[in-house]
Amino acid sequence: MLRLTLAQMRRSIGRLSAAGVAIVIGTAFVAATLLGGNLITRSAFDAISAQYARADLVVSTSATFTPQTVDTIRSTAGVAQASGMVQSWQGLVGGDRTIFQQVIPTTPDPRLMPLVLSKGAWPTGADQIALPPDVATRLSVGVGDTIGLQTHGSDSETQTRRLTVTGLVDDPRNAYGGGGGAAVMDVTALDALQKADGGELTYREITVLLADGASLPSVTAALRDAVPHASVVTPDEHAQAVAQRLSGGQDLFFLIFVLTFAAIALLVAGLVITNTFQVLVAQRTRTLALLRAVGANKRQVGAGVLLEAGILGVVSSLIGVVLGCGLGQLALTIAGHTSAAAFLPHSISVTWAVVVIPLLVGVAVTVLASLVPARVATRVAPLAALRPADGPTLEKGSAGRVRLVLSVLVMVLGFGLLALGAALGTVGGDAQMGLLAGIAGGALSFVGVAVSAVFWMPRVTSWSGRLVGLSGPTARLASANTLRNPRRTAATSTALLIGVTLVAMMSTGAASARTSLTAQLDQQFPIDVAVDALGDANGAADLPANVVTAVNQASGVRAVARPKSASLVVGGIYAAADGSIGLTGDGTVPTPQNQVSTPVVGIDPAQAKAVLNDPSLVKDVEAGSVVVPSFQAYQWHLTDGSRLTLTGPTGPVTLTVVVDDGGHGIGSVLLVDQADLLRADAHPAQSSMWVALAPGDLSAVSAIQDAVGDTGAPVTVQGAAVERASYETVIDTALGIVVGLLGVAVVIALIGVANTLSLSVLERRRESATLRAIGVTRGQLRWMLAVEGMLIAGVGAVLGIVLGLVYGWAGSLAGLGVMGPVVLSVPWRDIVLAAVIALVAGLVASVAPGRSAVRPSPVAALATE
Amino acid sequence: MDTTVFVPLDEGTDPTVGGHAGVAAVRARKLAKTYGRGAAQVRALDAVDVDFEAGRFTAIMGPSGSGKSTLMHLLAGLDSATSGQAFIGRTELTGLGDKELTLLRRDRVGFVFQQFNLLPMFTAEQNIMLPVELAGGTVDGEWFATLTRTLGIEDRLEHRPAEMSGGQQQRVAIARALIARPDVVFADEPTGNLDSRAGAQVLSFLRRSVRELGRTIIMVTHDPAAAAYADRVILLADGRIAGEITDPTPEAVLAGLDALRSLEGPVDGLDGDATSQAGA
Repeated sequence: MLRLTLAQMRRSIGRLSAAGVAIVIGTAFVAATLLGGNLITRSAFDAISAQYARADLVVSTSATFTPQTVDTIRSTAGVAQASGMVQSWQGLVGGDRTIFQQVIPTTPDPRLMPLVLSKGAWPTGADQIALPPDVATRLSVGVGDTIGLQTHGSDSETQTRRLTVTGLVDDPRNAYGGGGGAAVMDVTALDALQKADGGELTYREITVLLADGASLPSVTAALRDAVPHASVVTPDEHAQAVAQRLSGGQDLFFLIFVLTFAAIALLVAGLVITNTFQVLVAQRTRTLALLRAVGANKRQVGAGVLLEAGILGVVSSLIGVVLGCGLGQLALTIAGHTSAAAFLPHSISVTWAVVVIPLLVGVAVTVLASLVPARVATRVAPLAALRPADGPTLEKGSAGRVRLVLSVLVMVLGFGLLALGAALGTVGGDAQMGLLAGIAGGALSFVGVAVSAVFWMPRVTSWSGRLVGLSGPTARLASANTLRNPRRTAATSTALLIGVTLVAMMSTGAASARTSLTAQLDQQFPIDVAVDALGDANGAADLPANVVTAVNQASGVRAVARPKSASLVVGGIYAAADGSIGLTGDGTVPTPQNQVSTPVVGIDPAQAKAVLNDPSLVKDVEAGSVVVPSFQAYQWHLTDGSRLTLTGPTGPVTLTVVVDDGGHGIGSVLLVDQADLLRADAHPAQSSMWVALAPGDLSAVSAIQDAVGDTGAPVTVQGAAVERASYETVIDTALGIVVGLLGVAVVIALIGVANTLSLSVLERRRESATLRAIGVTRGQLRWMLAVEGMLIAGVGAVLGIVLGLVYGWAGSLAGLGVMGPVVLSVPWRDIVLAAVIALVAGLVASVAPGRSAVRPSPVAALATE
Repeated sequence: MDTTVFVPLDEGTDPTVGGHAGVAAVRARKLAKTYGRGAAQVRALDAVDVDFEAGRFTAIMGPSGSGKSTLMHLLAGLDSATSGQAFIGRTELTGLGDKELTLLRRDRVGFVFQQFNLLPMFTAEQNIMLPVELAGGTVDGEWFATLTRTLGIEDRLEHRPAEMSGGQQQRVAIARALIARPDVVFADEPTGNLDSRAGAQVLSFLRRSVRELGRTIIMVTHDPAAAAYADRVILLADGRIAGEITDPTPEAVLAGLDALRSLEGPVDGLDGDATSQAGA
């Protein structure tokens, strides 16, 4: 039987390899994922163990060590040197930037220092520092220059000390790469800084070097005695434990997340395999019948098909593993030439799991996928061997009624749950239950859709085919062809449908989330970007000049308003001893100690209206009136039309109160016309900028944030656009990753389209030759196959897009409904892109089959056999 | 019959075999085809000169390997000749590219195959219309009705090939070959896959379409009974024209084949085939 199977496989090698490619891609995906998981664990381990440099032992504790512990360890027999590990963060100032930088101390022995000097010298004095090269670049300094070190004096006022840069340090083993590198200061100087900051000097870990000839076990034992309640292990053991603690959850999450997509890819690969084997069995009907006629039993015939699938699975999976490892290594090699090089090992680590798991999964998928074709093979009657070879006939689309009923039930149940999920999310306000019901319903209904595809997909294809057929006889031939094997066409389209549905769902969900959040943010924040200097106890501070310049020059800024602000004394009230507000009407005369001051913002109404998302917010601001937030008005016993006196350094102004009961206003400040503010305070602070951005352009946000970050000044940047920029980055990144991972499934499905087409071409050799004989040109025949490919791919893609829209909307309703009204949007760009890609892919998939279809001479049509 | 003449031919004879008064629809001039190279070289067709008149039903007969199929392929523009010329009407086929040949077949040639070769996903009617639609033309309704009536397939037009008998399928195929009113129809063993009754029917239809509808048909067969339906039989042996019979009867054709055998020695395949067909 094995010899026969191998012989048959040799005959169908072309068809099998096309199907094998699907499994190769799927298993390569799994192998690469597992390698990635290994990489995460290993780079965490490497980074941690690198910090201990060439130490022999690491002493660690869950509490803290004092400098005395270090001394105790140093005096233990067999210990050559010990060093307390310190990681402190210091504010370094250079140019107009302030960088918070990790700083480690020099070590008593160079073997305990994980960093190496690339230029200059190690710091030795109190006013010296060595910097990582990129930090030196950002601070615009070189060796010999000075930088500032921010320190806090006894009165907690920030002071700046000058430090000389003595050298540049490299981090070859990436010990501190995760924290942005580390600068080095002399151990005494850093200890002093630590003491000034926090008082006590403590360590979590102490690295130990053994004296020459000392034995590791005996020193370990001695240290365990000397330092009770501490763990004394080698750096590798320590790093292993820490890495597991740190990344255990992380790499598991990564694995589950990515393997989900690998599973989808393999499912699609399974569909492609099923299709291929079904065709193979159909083409071998005569051989199979002959086998049955000469005495093979049903079991043997079925087992032959499964054996073939098993062999294909093993070979493809092995190739997949090799490919996955190769791609992993390639990625590492390429990454080795980028800035990420320091974080990554030079070669992949192939564990048994990386080889065995993809192999098992690949073989299992292939064999499972061939179960149905194997059963079909057992149904071949011995008599079929005696019948003349018929031309290809129409397949009888007789899928079971049970299947129809079950899949419809599952679909109804699934879509019901999906609707329930959406209802729970919006009306019920329970996002968690809504999402849960939605996901369950989505998965269930999708299974129903995929399983029932064989019933309705041919019909949809037929309608689309009829539409396409209007364009001419070639297209009509193509659409008729797609209907002759409804099951095969349905399975091929379904494979594509799966990937496209998921991509469209993600894209729709992301688009809906984007629009919904944007709508909500516009309500929540009246301004796109508000830049505010925080000020201090003495009142508002002016915005630094360079921030103002940066904002004004940032591209994408549509308009800027400069409100002025001052802290003014509120007339008519006083703060009682218990903090409550009293009215001066009761006879109390406010003293400077108990008078109430409040921030008052003066705006130019026209300027403000230009930058506000809702100009009506400032409609009541005009000369002679003051807009008071409703809660403040309530507290101060003010109503519309009351007169309020505000007093500043320049003098008092009395204004008519307008209570803002909109509930939002612009912060909790009083709003007045700028001219009125100047009458109270002739020199108000210019602490804010209200910025309106050009629609759809968020690039200014990061420009403003960078400018503010560079100054290091205490300035906040907030507003609708700021929020939008941050979550849009998150949404876009997440969407990009998910779509990229789903892309693998789509690619496999497209291979399936090509596979189906080439199988059809093989089956229709005589027919193609007939068409050529009666006057179909080569080009027409190729175009016929192209239309066929585009029809199969197009139907899968369009249905996938429609389904994806439904799922995406339901998911948005279920998950986002709790946050406010959900705006359902259609990601037109992505949808058009998906459809175009599917059509082009269908076209491309027909190229190779088309070539083999036109190659034989039409004479073949006249041949008898 | 008395009119039956058997003329053995040799190299020196006038190239235009037959010399009847009718216009030649298809002509071959020193047409040759060789397969393979060197020692393995096979001369399938050896400088054949022959004319086929328009409006007549001609059969090409010969034992297996005599080159009758090769001759037909070259005359129909399905295969390219090694040397010599083939003409359909005034058009020389040799030298035409694949595209021109394809269009020529589409517009001026019809085919009837041994395996029927109908498209399984199309109904009889769609199959018949296909050549016209491919050419972008409109079907002549009257001609379509005449054809389907003559061929007796009017009530089968909505059926797919799988729902029809072999004879019915072949009659649909004949309608497909004739619908575009081609200059010539080539039929390759049209009765090879049919029982004798259905075969006889198909042959009568072919003869009627020549006599009543004025078409030109060239049929390749190795069945003397089938050849007897033709107006004229060309005998082929070893890639050369070996003789010709006008207004043949089965007996005359058999006699011609026998004469061939006595000239050339026993030919494998012909003997068995001929007797079995004659006996059926």
